[in-house]
Amino acid sequence: MTVPSAATAASDPQRADRHRSPGSFLAIYRLVLRNQVTAGRIIAVSALGGLAVLLGLGVRASDSIDIISDAATLIDQYGLQVVAPVVSLVFASSGLGDMVDDKTLVYLWLRPTPRIQVAMAAALAALTVCLPAVVVPLVLAAAITGAGPALTGGTAVAAAVGVAGYVGMFCAVGIRFRRALVWGLAYILLWEGFVANASKTAGRLSLRGYTRSVLSEYTGVGFKQASLSLPVAIVVPILVGGAMIAYAGFRLSRTDVD
Amino acid sequence: MTTVGTVPHRRAMIEVSGVSKWFGDVVAVSEVSFTVPSGVTALLGPNGAGKSTMLRLLCGLVAPDRGTLRVLGRDPRADIGVLRSIGLVPQQETVFDSQTAFEFVKLAGILHGIGQPDDAARDALALVEMDASDTRRLSTYSRGMRQRVKVAQAIVHEPRVIFLDEPLTGLDPRQRRHMTELFHALGDRGRCVVVSSHVLEEVERFGSNVLVIAQGRLAAEGDFRAIRDLMDDRPHKIRIRTDQPNRVAGNLLAAGTIMGIELVDADTVLVETTNVQAFRRTVTAIARDGGARLWEVVPLDDDLDSVFRYLVGR
Repeated sequence: MTVPSAATAASDPQRADRHRSPGSFLAIYRLVLRNQVTAGRIIAVSALGGLAVLLGLGVRASDSIDIISDAATLIDQYGLQVVAPVVSLVFASSGLGDMVDDKTLVYLWLRPTPRIQVAMAAALAALTVCLPAVVVPLVLAAAITGAGPALTGGTAVAAAVGVAGYVGMFCAVGIRFRRALVWGLAYILLWEGFVANASKTAGRLSLRGYTRSVLSEYTGVGFKQASLSLPVAIVVPILVGGAMIAYAGFRLSRTDVD
Repeated sequence: MTTVGTVPHRRAMIEVSGVSKWFGDVVAVSEVSFTVPSGVTALLGPNGAGKSTMLRLLCGLVAPDRGTLRVLGRDPRADIGVLRSIGLVPQQETVFDSQTAFEFVKLAGILHGIGQPDDAARDALALVEMDASDTRRLSTYSRGMRQRVKVAQAIVHEPRVIFLDEPLTGLDPRQRRHMTELFHALGDRGRCVVVSSHVLEEVERFGSNVLVIAQGRLAAEGDFRAIRDLMDDRPHKIRIRTDQPNRVAGNLLAAGTIMGIELVDADTVLVETTNVQAFRRTVTAIARDGGARLWEVVPLDDDLDSVFRYLVGR
């Protein structure tokens, strides 16, 4: 058996410090994408999206005199409160969270790859799945209601902005907590479902307040806790998502790895 | 801590100084200090002794609560650059199940930034006698095959320091021999290879330099043969069941093969000896000469835990 000597070995710490390979980012992105897309998750996400389309058909078939209000409420109550956060939670928290749980994170962690690069690759993998899985069925549902292009456009922007924020947040939750799915659901149900509706300040600390504001700005339909301007409602969730990805990278460098 | 035997002096590639690590109330590693040069070094200790925690500390996977660790002069927890020079075979069996062996090892190569990850992955898999063209997913692999793939991913980037946590688990005897030869080949080529095990016979094959960890403490350090002698020379307790325990024990004492006697009941006596070989040679003859019938001779503390407890208590 022939093994190279240590003197000729490729491992040179100084060289490693200089090494920042784009190949590493792509390799992690592909790995996370492959790991997180399972048959069970695809079925669950398709069912959520399919239900949105069916509800859109239901609104269209109704004899509503204010179709835009009913359709916007459907998108807000089901699309932005359920589909966007739940789909983002399922994929974003599992990207690195599954590796923490099954103890395979060591195979990424023990490499000279900047931790922020790992977190960004995982977030991008989650976005790759979540954006089409959320935006397409919700836009389809909005279009089917027949409420007009304002709702369709507002739905597309609100859903995309929401996904960007939720993915970053749940990426961090996946690294920070074991059983991230439970913590994420607790946030969606308790904080966004109840607490954020209770006061204006709490609403500002909830991503749903921003996505709801986007929808409100586009459609002119007034929602509770939806008083933010369009630029703020678009920019803040994206910034929050980015900040949470940075936090995930920071946590990754501090976390104990099994 | 006991330092025994002579290990040839070489420059330390790993330096551990006063390191402690606890998880809640449990002290996993306590005030451990040692250095490791190039070549193969065995980390020996019973299950739960702190070996895996020690290896995790050395890789930077966890931070020490007290003390300092340096691998190639750098802190593996704070300085990710040094990870380029470290390879680890973790104890857990899990790997990326959706990948093939080749993809798994190549991924390690890519993340380490090596120039030709495809070629390096093929070479590493060949070293552990695995087929790089195998298209089966790792989820279909046996425990032993996974173990070999884990070794391949740890050496694909030709690290200068390699940690292997119970790497022979699940391997058949031929593969065990092959792996042991591979570790020695790596050590002979100037790498620092640290192999953990709880099996004494395994450690004997790994090499002469041994660190014994028990109850989170470094119990002994040095040449394997000297540590083995230390283990063999410790007092052993043996239970003898015979129809004449007084006579057998008395004759053994008179022959100088035992140091202590404790009569347990009418047909059982516990004896203590530091020379098990001499005891084994003489006990049957002494019983026969005394007209006694031996029913049972059972060593009570031959398990590794007893050996390690003894070393810690020294």
